[in-house]
Amino acid sequence: MTRSILKQSFVTAAIATALVWFTAGTTRLAAQSGTSAAKAPRTADGHPDFSGVWWRGADVGGRTASGANPIAPAAGRGGTPAPTFPSLYTPAAAAKAKTLSDKDDPALGCTNTAFGTLNVSLFDVGAVGQIVQTPKFLIMLTETYNSFQIIPIDGRPHRDAIPPSNRGDGVGHWEGDTLVVDKTNFTDTSWIYAEGRVSFHSDAMHVVERYRRVDANTLEIEATVEDPKVLSKPWVVPKQTLVLAPFDQIMELACSNETQSLVEGASKQSSGKN
Amino acid sequence: MKRTVFAVLVAGLVALCIGVPASAHHSFAAAYDMSNAITVHGVINQVLLRNPHSWFVIDVKDASGKVEQWSFEAGTPSGMIRNGYKPTVIKQGAEVTIKGFRARDASQNRGMLRELTTADGQVYGMFGPQEGPGK
Repeated sequence: MTRSILKQSFVTAAIATALVWFTAGTTRLAAQSGTSAAKAPRTADGHPDFSGVWWRGADVGGRTASGANPIAPAAGRGGTPAPTFPSLYTPAAAAKAKTLSDKDDPALGCTNTAFGTLNVSLFDVGAVGQIVQTPKFLIMLTETYNSFQIIPIDGRPHRDAIPPSNRGDGVGHWEGDTLVVDKTNFTDTSWIYAEGRVSFHSDAMHVVERYRRVDANTLEIEATVEDPKVLSKPWVVPKQTLVLAPFDQIMELACSNETQSLVEGASKQSSGKN
Repeated sequence: MKRTVFAVLVAGLVALCIGVPASAHHSFAAAYDMSNAITVHGVINQVLLRNPHSWFVIDVKDASGKVEQWSFEAGTPSGMIRNGYKPTVIKQGAEVTIKGFRARDASQNRGMLRELTTADGQVYGMFGPQEGPGK
């Protein structure tokens, strides 16, 4: 009897242990694969819904809930170093770049960039952006320099006979759950980047971006910038991972030319930052 | 030579320690001399909450009573507000002490704001109040 009880207890304990190990292992695997995160929401037509305010988890120089700042200077403002555009330029464009400096940056005069800083076009020159998605359009709103892009996502082609713009004309189509956005028709007066980085481009600039909401809280973006008139090879932007911000509305604050002279006046001499 | 290298290293460490963005919407490094720290005491003349960066303009009185105007560049307004700065707190007429770095063009009374202290001792950094969680 005693032996039977002991045997039964041993078997029960073994099964319980195996269950604990199995459950722990399954949980660990789920966490590693990200399957434990909430799924990305979808629109009524079944596509992923990208709506929300997206950022890296903090403002540049600002705090996060944990106090750590993922956009620390040492991390290159987001973990990836800023591009060195002159290394991508054709010889003729590189020669032109040497005649320009940070003081020539159109962003100093409140001109939007053609792509953006922090390697995220949604941010333009800021560190946060908002997406509003409708069945036909993805509307991208930037904060630091107010701007918007209305991107059709129903597969239509680029429009004919519209004037070029600083941020280009974007159209989107779906490849599974990935939204592919194609941008053309840029002016040649903005720069690709800002922050004094000489990064002019031509009206032949072409951008392809791939957006994927991998789960409820995570947006991944890949992008390639090409410009056959000035770039000898495309700028392949490192993949960027954004998270939902803890607020659901960006701010509207004007960019003002009145501070341009203050900035320019502080600098003793032009110093190119390529 | 060694002294120069040491000075550059110290300047770099100071910049990193105070958390100044290495780059922002324009190049701070091109405009401000991080080895030239300054402290200015005066009265707020104007607060410009503008993109890409905010500016604090202050009137500074010297020993003879002559008033000079200084301008200090701070952070992006939205970032400042999200980090606890309240636009209504620091207003025209408020007495403040600003620590920062002088413009490379020393003929200009301009600088980059590192720290602003109000008369009641409240300390603000480039992006908002310095006390509280997440400092």
